[in-house]
Amino acid sequence: MANRANTGGWLQGKTVRKGGIASTNQHTARSNTPQVQSTSSTIFGGGVKDASGRTSEFFSMDDVCPVCKSDRYLNPKLRLLVSSCYHKMCESCIDRLFTLGPAPCPICTKVLRKLAFTPQTFEDLGVEKEVAIRRRMAKEFNKRREDFPDLRQYNDYLEEVEDITFNLINDIDVSQTEARIAAYRAENSALIELNIQREEQYAQALREQEEAERRDREQRALEARREEEEEREELERGHRDIINRLETSDKDAKKVIAKSRADALKRTSARSASNATATQSTSYAQLLRSRAAQSTTVPDVPHVPLQDDWYAYDDMFEMRGIYEDRVSEVVRKDREGVMRAGGYRVEDAWERALRLAVAGLDVRPLGGMDAQAEITSGDVVMASA
Amino acid sequence: MSMPAQVPQIASPSSSAKKPLYEGSTQYKNWRFSPEKLTRIRASLNAAAVSVIRNTFEADEPGSSSNVLFLTADEEHLLVKLYISKISQLCGHFRFPEEVEATAVSYMKRFYLKNTVMDWHPKNVMLTALFLATKTTNNPISLETYTSHIPKTIPSDVLDLEFLVAQSLGFEFAVWHAHRALWGIWLDLQSLPDTPPDQSQDIYDTATMHVRASRLTDAELIYSPSQIALACMSLASPAFASQWAGSKIPSLADTLQPTIETIKSLITQAGHPPDVESVRTVDRRLKLCKNPEKVVGSKAYLAKKAEEERKAEEKRSRKADEIRKAMENGDPFGDELSWQEKEEKIKEIVDEDDND
Repeated sequence: MANRANTGGWLQGKTVRKGGIASTNQHTARSNTPQVQSTSSTIFGGGVKDASGRTSEFFSMDDVCPVCKSDRYLNPKLRLLVSSCYHKMCESCIDRLFTLGPAPCPICTKVLRKLAFTPQTFEDLGVEKEVAIRRRMAKEFNKRREDFPDLRQYNDYLEEVEDITFNLINDIDVSQTEARIAAYRAENSALIELNIQREEQYAQALREQEEAERRDREQRALEARREEEEEREELERGHRDIINRLETSDKDAKKVIAKSRADALKRTSARSASNATATQSTSYAQLLRSRAAQSTTVPDVPHVPLQDDWYAYDDMFEMRGIYEDRVSEVVRKDREGVMRAGGYRVEDAWERALRLAVAGLDVRPLGGMDAQAEITSGDVVMASA
Repeated sequence: MSMPAQVPQIASPSSSAKKPLYEGSTQYKNWRFSPEKLTRIRASLNAAAVSVIRNTFEADEPGSSSNVLFLTADEEHLLVKLYISKISQLCGHFRFPEEVEATAVSYMKRFYLKNTVMDWHPKNVMLTALFLATKTTNNPISLETYTSHIPKTIPSDVLDLEFLVAQSLGFEFAVWHAHRALWGIWLDLQSLPDTPPDQSQDIYDTATMHVRASRLTDAELIYSPSQIALACMSLASPAFASQWAGSKIPSLADTLQPTIETIKSLITQAGHPPDVESVRTVDRRLKLCKNPEKVVGSKAYLAKKAEEERKAEEKRSRKADEIRKAMENGDPFGDELSWQEKEEKIKEIVDEDDND
């Protein structure tokens, strides 16, 4: 029983927060919509962690334990966990069945251990399983594009990985697939290890850089505060200085003030010059970060919404930035933009007018009776309608 | 808002050379004529209408058509022109933008290339065309406000013809206007390398007046809006116009020049509203030779209505018969048809469609 304390309090239903809404106000929150809840402390692996590092857990008002048929109505604290064979069971069933060591799953008779139960993140257990399998695959099949001589081989490798993943997810030739994985592992153990290290190094570098940047920011904030303080003192000193001088000297008061003002200005300009050099160092970190971002992002090709074969007379005119134009004066003078509220742009109206000014200039008028669309008197049918 | 509507979503990728945008417009495709063609269309429409109306008169009261003086195509055109000039008065009254006015005028002209004055009086068509233009150019006004500001008009006067007008236009509501092209020319003059020194606003205003005058002519049915705008500019300031045209298409300036000259003479000759007195006599005669089938309350009108009613009734009773028969046979959808019956049925349906 000693390890029960180690495994955490969820067996007693104490420490693990689950379904805060459900346990506090049962009756008002009784809805059938599935919810995903975050539990702050979980002792299990598995599940999917969100951005803050917490595991979000699937939770629904319709939960029923398939083994003991206990539901949320009977047991508001019901918490279902998923076994390694992807069957759900409530905590009390797990406790009852597996406390005395490994035992067969009551649904599929696969031998399970108590610690192999994981919280459920997705409503669909198929997704749960796929995520787990993909996570496992990613650990071992971690070759990169650089590890292959050409794209073709890399693609073949990716396809093989997908093939194996698919087999595992759908339980096709499991033993054979496992053998394939083992063979791959044996073959590439060195490379796998290397790639894991690379990954770690990269993560480490990223962390370090972020840390450095954070320190840098703090440093700068501190600096700024200090500067502000100094400036304030300077100002104070200046005031005192002026008063002192006015007291001691017998010169014209205006001249004295002007002189000390000029001195103060000189001092501040000297300080701002020294600041300029400080900002230089920060750009280095930004450069590094932008480089890291570049390596992962694909260049964004500008989106061209309409591609067609129409010639829009673009070479016949050139837009100027601004026109002297009385027609659109009212719109342009409209400071609050009431007239442009619907997205009206004077430039668009100008462009349209310019385009129309050159459109069809070279069209020859039709001559004689060789017109194309023959309009006959048969159209009078319409008139008699 | 007329341009995007005219650009097809999918252009054929097969054509290697790019097609100019204007040539994709319905205005270019369906509403561009030669002057001779315009005359012939009007003449043939007039002839067809006269013969139909004459027959109706004869059917109503034999021999009554002999002393009726029908309108000629030119007289019809004169009447249309008068009501086109009325559009700008109305637009001034309602303070509609220029685009509404220009669009309504275009609708008017296009409508009377498919219909005749003797069938549809231009006064009502004008009201409908203007109301339709407010909607298609995104300057909507409520029908009640619209009709309450026009004396002796009720909403149904406007609405009754609306579908007919839209149908006659082929539902091609987008129009490329010369006044917009003129604005473009005026703006583009500022980009000329040696900008004319004295760009007085008066020149633009004068050119705009000429564009308005051009609306009373057939110019827009023959020439492209940019050509009309250039001609108007040329009327206001020949120097600016030739300088601008030369900067745009130096090689074509020679071929363009005759076109511009033709438009200029067209505008100066025909660009004014017709004499009201002469139109008044035409209008008086129109009262006598209007298509009686379109005059509410006349014998021909009632006869036509009765005929339509009878046809519809016949159709209804036939349908009811069929349904009743089917119900009696037990299956509301009728018995399984044999192969021959099916053939017959299909033929019947096709014929029926043709009749519609």
